[in-house]
Amino acid sequence: MSWFESQKLGEMAPGTKVIIYSLLWFWAFVVVFPLYWVVITSFKLPVHVSDGPDFLPFIDYQPSLHAWKYIFIDLGSDTFRPYLNSVIIASISTVFAMIFGSMAAYALARLHFQPRLISIVLFLIALGLAAYAAISFGVDWRLALALGIAVFFFLVRALQRVPSPRLGNGDILFWVISQRILPPIVAALPIYIMFQQLHILDTHFAIILTYITVNLPIVVWLMYDFFVSIPRDIEESAGLDGASKIRIFFEMALPLAKPGLAATSLLVLILSWNEYLLALFLSTAKAQTIPLLVAAQNATRGPQWWYMSVLIIIMIVPVVLLTILLQRLISKGLLLGAVKG
Amino acid sequence: MASEKLDNWLDRHSARLFLLPTVLLILSFSLFPLVISAWLSLSRFKLVAGGYDISYIGWLNYKKLFTGSQQFHFLGTFAPISLVGWLIIALTAAILFWGIYTFLISRNITVIGVIGRLIAFPVLGWLGWLVASTTGEGGRLGSLSTTLYYVFAGVTLQFLMGTLLAWLCAQNIRGRAFFRLVFFVPLMVTPVGIAYMFRMLADMSVGPFSPIWKLFGLGEFSWAADPWSARMVVIIGDSWQWIPFIFIVMLAAFESQSRDEIEAAELDGASGWQIFKDITWPSVVPVAATVVLIRIIEAFKIVDLPNVLTNGGPGIATESLTLHSFIEWRALNLGGSSSVAYLLLVVSTIICVSYFQLVVLPMRRARE
Amino acid sequence: MKIMNKLAVAGSVAIALGTTGAQAAEFDGVTVNVMTFTGPQIAEPLQRRGAEFSEATGADINVITVPFSDLYQKLLTDWVSGTNSIDAGVFAPQWMVDYVTPGLLEDLTEQVAADEALESDDIAKFFREFSQKYDNKTYMLTVDGDFHMVYYRTDIAEELGLDAPKTWDDYLAFAKAAHGKDMNGDGEADYGSCMAKKRNAQSYWMITSVASAFIQSQGTSQGAFFDTEDMSPLYNNEAFAEALRIYGETGDYAPSDEINLDVGDTRGLFTSGRCALTLDWGDIGTLAIDPETSKVVDKVGAVALPGSTRVLDRASGKLVDCSAETCPHAVDGINHAPFAAFGGWSGGVNSSADDAVKEAAYAFFSYVSQPAQSNADVTVGATGFNPYRTSQFENMENWTNAGMSQEAAENYLGAIQTSLNSPNMVLDLRIPQNQRYQQIVLDTAIARYLAGELDIEGTMKSISDGWSEITEEMGMEDQLSAYRLTIGAQ
Repeated sequence: MSWFESQKLGEMAPGTKVIIYSLLWFWAFVVVFPLYWVVITSFKLPVHVSDGPDFLPFIDYQPSLHAWKYIFIDLGSDTFRPYLNSVIIASISTVFAMIFGSMAAYALARLHFQPRLISIVLFLIALGLAAYAAISFGVDWRLALALGIAVFFFLVRALQRVPSPRLGNGDILFWVISQRILPPIVAALPIYIMFQQLHILDTHFAIILTYITVNLPIVVWLMYDFFVSIPRDIEESAGLDGASKIRIFFEMALPLAKPGLAATSLLVLILSWNEYLLALFLSTAKAQTIPLLVAAQNATRGPQWWYMSVLIIIMIVPVVLLTILLQRLISKGLLLGAVKG
Repeated sequence: MASEKLDNWLDRHSARLFLLPTVLLILSFSLFPLVISAWLSLSRFKLVAGGYDISYIGWLNYKKLFTGSQQFHFLGTFAPISLVGWLIIALTAAILFWGIYTFLISRNITVIGVIGRLIAFPVLGWLGWLVASTTGEGGRLGSLSTTLYYVFAGVTLQFLMGTLLAWLCAQNIRGRAFFRLVFFVPLMVTPVGIAYMFRMLADMSVGPFSPIWKLFGLGEFSWAADPWSARMVVIIGDSWQWIPFIFIVMLAAFESQSRDEIEAAELDGASGWQIFKDITWPSVVPVAATVVLIRIIEAFKIVDLPNVLTNGGPGIATESLTLHSFIEWRALNLGGSSSVAYLLLVVSTIICVSYFQLVVLPMRRARE
Repeated sequence: MKIMNKLAVAGSVAIALGTTGAQAAEFDGVTVNVMTFTGPQIAEPLQRRGAEFSEATGADINVITVPFSDLYQKLLTDWVSGTNSIDAGVFAPQWMVDYVTPGLLEDLTEQVAADEALESDDIAKFFREFSQKYDNKTYMLTVDGDFHMVYYRTDIAEELGLDAPKTWDDYLAFAKAAHGKDMNGDGEADYGSCMAKKRNAQSYWMITSVASAFIQSQGTSQGAFFDTEDMSPLYNNEAFAEALRIYGETGDYAPSDEINLDVGDTRGLFTSGRCALTLDWGDIGTLAIDPETSKVVDKVGAVALPGSTRVLDRASGKLVDCSAETCPHAVDGINHAPFAAFGGWSGGVNSSADDAVKEAAYAFFSYVSQPAQSNADVTVGATGFNPYRTSQFENMENWTNAGMSQEAAENYLGAIQTSLNSPNMVLDLRIPQNQRYQQIVLDTAIARYLAGELDIEGTMKSISDGWSEITEEMGMEDQLSAYRLTIGAQ
């Protein structure tokens, strides 16, 4: 018998099985080992780290709770506050990103939009004039903005009959998704200036708003695929029966897309929970989030590996628990959406 | 009566209402930054008595990056093109010719398409030449080329590994749910945390692998002192985090194939490789194209790993464009920082859109 | 016991504040947001003293920490943009000039003059007159004294029959002789010299420590970065070339990944016994005596920065031998130029804060700096506070109580005092945009030099071109007058 010939139909050859399982377990080791290292480092004293690698607690070294004590007790509120901020900011921004994004995705999947190219051009022109007025002539930006919007509406009305090419759903979708290409570093300082003018810097509201916007493209992208794959019949018959589009959305489409919702919201939650650059720019003290605390452990006196390990652990644990909870829905959810590309 | 009227009004305008919050938010958070960033990149920030002063200086910041004192930082140090360089140029040329060819024979030649390609293709060609002429003997990569390296080498590695793992997991094995959960975990760790974790792991003297290094006589080798090994470590860290993403998506794709076709093929005596080539792969290609696009978009923004692992060193070898911009910002050079950030935006837009047009759309059309 | 301690603390706080003119509960309801970088160094003592201060005066001291590399930006952005969520900061006096020019820092001259409890005369002259002031006005209160010294293993020195290095050639010889020996008894070869050379960290002060003895010899007001007549960079001549050569050679006796080592790493290496020599701030003195983390307790000596027997003749750009004219401050024919790298953490107050907040902030900083608190804190390595008051050098008790042997204390404090008393001390660069000069241009050029991308000529050209470009952009006249102001050039 050859190692690579399958003995039974539908089962793999023993040789193949060995290779496959060993590769899978190898990668599992690659994934787990760094995390194991983080866990045991959180119980190490500085001298254990600088002395060379200690692999096994209780055997190579005596574990100590000093790092845990420092993070939870000595720093106490300084750890709790960013943690609470992260929880609040990540959960609220995920909820709203999902709501707005799903609505937009549904609209793009089911309803027809045909914005006129000329309207978009007029919009840009009106805003450009407003910006020019604000910068060159020192007009107060709020006034300039209001005037710009007024000018826009007026021009659109006036030029209603002018023929113009029309864009479609695909173009709108592409525009929304392409926002993801914008590197945060380009937007960080201008957003800071924007919030500073509105006096909402270092507030939860500011960061939540930013995270919602940054994650909307992903929600729209993924949920669009989900909605497109749901058969239209049910919704159409409900529409014929006189139900409003809003009711159809909330009572029919959303429940059908539950797996997709679960998968997407987990992804968005992870992205918000772990985000660093924008939080760095937009928060100082009150709205500081946990990733900032992790980065801050790199003091001038060198990285405090033990404190950092504790922080990394308390960051991962909630997300892992949440994932296990959503495990069943995820597998089906990502399945449906991904296939449609 | 009134509530009925409201309901009717809502229903008629529901399409726009559904889309409105998204469009409003994205408009305000993208238009304004784009304009302000552009303006900042054309000016100089200075602290003066009474506050600060931002004065217009034209294209000076950009000139510095392309031809002036920061050229070594952004573009790199030039050297005669080596064999590897010629290969890169050949590859780029091949892709561009293929792109032109498919465009010309397609039945979809639009004005926008022509203009887009007229802009994108020369830029792509120039980027290929840039990478080729800075990788030669004595040449050094600038932050632009380093970012391109991270994107292309990183995404290729991540895609190959992720797809391989997904395909393995899609086989008839036990414990699939367990593997699925375990493989997903790296995605949950914050990138800053991953960067510090890998810095701990990669330490040659007190890291966990130091006994192994010493066994191979590499105890004195420092990965942080050699440009290419430093970049390699960055890519390893990046891949550790993002392979799970590709794995999850491709696994779902593999799992969604119809078993009937495959079983029929097996009954007919087709080998595993034939099945993969003719049945499995064509059906997952659209998904693969999309997931690679998502990964490319995110890969351009890499900053945490090079920042924490090597602070951009040795020299400037591991500095990505975002890190370059970030460092400039920290030293109050707002104009310089914005110009680098804007160039990053331009390059990543051109590459992502080109990829979308050249790869993703044809795949989608083929599927339909 | 605990209650007694608390009472004692509260009592001393009250007395301390009483002499500043502050009464207990005077600052009731006042919140002061103080920003510094993430500790425990600097942040921990601020938090601890803040709690004591709060108990005694009712003010709420809120210490906010951010990563070190972001501190400069965060403070500046917060104050310049008018957000003003930070009331006070503990940061580098070197950055003061960027904050003072737009009027962001409160002028503390009067308060300091009226403050008896602060005991200003006890603060070493260098910190009092140079570090805390700009244009003759006091803007910051020193809580930590910072400058570079060389630390060496006394036991290895004895073994090799060498003295503490007095010149950089001595340093190299020492490193060469010690390199490869097993210095901590674990059977592995150790290193002759460990210097933090990581990019975008604190390494760019190291090269100035090496170069200054070659470049500055006529006293602090001669300056070590630019020519005081025409603002031309001084990092482009034979003297700096020699410094670069030495700096590169120290890498031959160092760990192979020295280019990626930060101060935290080199301190860990030195205190675990793996280095014979290191160049660092004052922290090693107090870190080395901590029995929990250090393996070299009582084996460490400190010495003021090594000097040079040849110095720069600015007219010709060449190195000339030391003589009575060229090196008026030479000791034993060697020109020393102790470098006050970074300047020492100091507290500054936001000029746009409310008056009550400003007063409370000042009182807090004064409290932290007063001898009763400061003298205890500087003996503990974990606080990050290094000595800067004369009483801290003279009173050995605090040090011996903290665990330093009498000999080690005298040696360590002696080295600091020698540096402080030197008339040729080098003041860190304090002109506008100093971050760009040092962190961007200098740091990148040195990193490229160490990585082998640039040779000595190329490095010098890169630095001087980069500096000249910034000077031109900012306006040569402005930069020159600012430079002359900070070093007190005639």
